[in-house]
Amino acid sequence: MIVPLLVAIPIITIFFSFFDTRSEYLTLLKNTFLLEYISNSFFILVGVLFLTFIFGVTSAYFVSFYNFTGVNFFKWALILSFAVPGYIYAYSLTAFFENYGTAFSILTFLFGDSEYNQYIPKFDGLIGSIFSISFSLFGYVYVLTRASFLYQSHNLIEVGKNLGFSTKRSFFKIILPSARPAIVAGLSLVAMEAVSDFGTVSFFSISTLTTAIYNSWISFDDLSTANQLSFMLLFFILILFIIENYSRKSAKYHQPSRGFKSIPKIELKGKKSALAFTFCSMLFFCSFLFPVFQMSYWTIKFPKYFQDIDLWSLNFNTLLLVFLSSVCLIVFSFLSNYGNRVSKSKLLNYLSAFSISGYAIPGVILAVAFITFISWLSDTFTSAFGFASFKPLFIGSVIGLVLAYFVRFFSLSFNGIRSGYLKINQSIDDSAYLLGYSKFKTFTRIHVPYLKSSVFLVGVLIAIEIIKELPITLILRPFNFETFATKAYSYAAQDLLEAAAFPSLCLIMWASLFILFASRYILSDK
Amino acid sequence: MKKLVLSILGLLFISTSVMAQEVNIFSARHYDSDVQLYKKFTAKTGIKVNIVSGKDKALQKRIKEEGKDCKGDLYITADAGRLGAFQSQGMFQKGASSAGIKKVVPANFRSAYWTGIAKRARVIYYNPKTVNPSWNMTYEDLADPKYKGRVVIRQSNNVYNQSLVASLIKNNGAKNTETWAKGLVSNFARKAKGNDRAQILAVAAGEADWAVANTYYIALMLSGKKGPEQQAAAKKVKPFFPNQDGRGTHMNISGGGILKHAPNKANAIKLLEFLLTPEAQKHIVNNTFEYSMIDGVEPNKLISQFGLGFKQDLKTKVSSYGKLQAKALKIMTEAGWN
Ligand SMILES: [Fe+2]
Repeated sequence: MIVPLLVAIPIITIFFSFFDTRSEYLTLLKNTFLLEYISNSFFILVGVLFLTFIFGVTSAYFVSFYNFTGVNFFKWALILSFAVPGYIYAYSLTAFFENYGTAFSILTFLFGDSEYNQYIPKFDGLIGSIFSISFSLFGYVYVLTRASFLYQSHNLIEVGKNLGFSTKRSFFKIILPSARPAIVAGLSLVAMEAVSDFGTVSFFSISTLTTAIYNSWISFDDLSTANQLSFMLLFFILILFIIENYSRKSAKYHQPSRGFKSIPKIELKGKKSALAFTFCSMLFFCSFLFPVFQMSYWTIKFPKYFQDIDLWSLNFNTLLLVFLSSVCLIVFSFLSNYGNRVSKSKLLNYLSAFSISGYAIPGVILAVAFITFISWLSDTFTSAFGFASFKPLFIGSVIGLVLAYFVRFFSLSFNGIRSGYLKINQSIDDSAYLLGYSKFKTFTRIHVPYLKSSVFLVGVLIAIEIIKELPITLILRPFNFETFATKAYSYAAQDLLEAAAFPSLCLIMWASLFILFASRYILSDK
Repeated sequence: MKKLVLSILGLLFISTSVMAQEVNIFSARHYDSDVQLYKKFTAKTGIKVNIVSGKDKALQKRIKEEGKDCKGDLYITADAGRLGAFQSQGMFQKGASSAGIKKVVPANFRSAYWTGIAKRARVIYYNPKTVNPSWNMTYEDLADPKYKGRVVIRQSNNVYNQSLVASLIKNNGAKNTETWAKGLVSNFARKAKGNDRAQILAVAAGEADWAVANTYYIALMLSGKKGPEQQAAAKKVKPFFPNQDGRGTHMNISGGGILKHAPNKANAIKLLEFLLTPEAQKHIVNNTFEYSMIDGVEPNKLISQFGLGFKQDLKTKVSSYGKLQAKALKIMTEAGWN
């Protein structure tokens, strides 16, 4: 009961004004840029959904059904894109294409001095944002779609052949529909992150609904406008959430029995093999190698920025946050899932659904909502019961950070473990009770071992998210506390992206390590 | 292992522990060179300096919500308007202008609640191959239709622009500034985007003839800290100090004020006083390329080569920016300045 309430903090805070100052911001916005902001949000959403669909589904299709050069490499290399946060992607893209940027240096190096700036394409900020967000998120679609392809009990291509379909026709008529629920699930995750993005778009000087919420609340102290705009954003997200929930329900009908045989793959030769190879390697290059190269290039070009970095404490802080948060999240997701299972309560289910808000609300907004809420709660307790203030315990402390991450990532962790639980048949519990197992014993002896791999996977996902997390850490951190993400941000903020390269690279490296560590589970063929 | 456990415990409760001699800073300036400067201060006085840096408005929000429990002593940021606005919300206490500070910082760049630490000028940049400004060119001139499609400047949400426009409102009135903003927007070479340095680069690359940006960005590029390409690009562009025939070039400050509930007020004043010593000022001008706040410290060579004798706008008090920034943003937004 407590957990979903806790997780609903951002929503509660956003909808109940604790102070009532109004500014003319909304009127101003309505008369000027509101439409543009909404259309920016809309184009980013549509653009990102389109690109992640193309990238994710195509690569999953190639990798799942065909054998071609490098297929075993691409299978896991494509998920490395999870390691690059959108904002680091934005740094790289900007640095590469800006006047006198990396592209300019490369051209100068190859062809000698000249005025190349006019030939280097100038990215529109909107396009830049769409690409940055897409490359950092298409992995969701890829992983889920691929898993769904592997779950098919028949070789769908064979089925198509037997029906006399061409490859193209069987792709559109059989394969794509069969993976629809997984694709929609992946896309709805992508959509939530795309709509709530703040760091990437603001780096590209693009204003969206999220920017307007940030401005009205944080710059103008105008909570009522922030409420109205948040309502609009939540409305967007709610629709997506309903679609996602719906598709997950229908997914049950598509899930085949667990009798799973690996499907013999079709050998691709010649042109077709080259095509699949080119597509996958381009995707791998753009989504992972490109930002890594850009950051490495700077790290090597400006070695003196190395010295200023206290690697020990950065590693320590990052790992401490990862450890504490994943333990808390996993324990509580476990307990609430177990509660749901034992009590079979609908209420709990609905409340847990609320928790998705943590993921869908922009991190900055969530952090400020968290601070406001703690402050309000503490003041209320102090004035009502004469309690000592507990603000210092939660604002500017590691405990506060962990709690805020908890709110943010609970739905990720809860749903991850729930999907594991769904695979344990209720009859297993019943037979355990028959054998005289207590509820507790059933939990520790049966559920825990069964769920080991989902727990592991969830832990790694949380770790990756926390390593990349920026806005919450930035606002809520204690004194003298830096992570790789805040360090990189701080250099970017003083206009020294060159110096941000090394912490960014470390961040990508840690996240990649976790991904490689878990790739076996993420890509589990079972 | 024991050490590890202890440091974990220490971190968990870090906000509740209070050290004997310390000063806590909330800073919206992210310079690493600031941190080096604080280390010098610690070496001198034994007072430990603790920092949380972050985005300006978000930090302010945190400080406000923490209220009496806020451990912060000093709030440091790079815009007079923000200091002024925070002051008007009652978040500072008097004291930033101690006798020692009053002696060295001109009255124009401090208030009872905060003081400037370094100065910056927001100037016009031009491409000497294509245009040549007359000696008395002004910010106001940038709205002249003859510059159609040739001017770049960053977005209206940028606080440097808000302060610049605030000073225009102060001097020319709101009506005239509205007309000016509309004229300027119609002269834009592209939609406002990028940081100050990106505007200078746009002039270097021929995308525009005129840009508005702070002085220290060109020094950063010339210094080679951003590589030889940017160094070469910066040489193609010249800064120009506008309004020499009138009130002078728009000045802004990096500054700090003592927070309302500061637990270490005395140390905070000591730190501010230290930052205004010639030693510290030299460190600042040579790292961030800002102008010194006190007399007798020359700017870095990369800046002084552009001339030191220019007329600064000392008529418009920097403390007036805060009150007019909201108005400035409104005018810019209504003029279609994104
Ligand atoms: Fe700046």
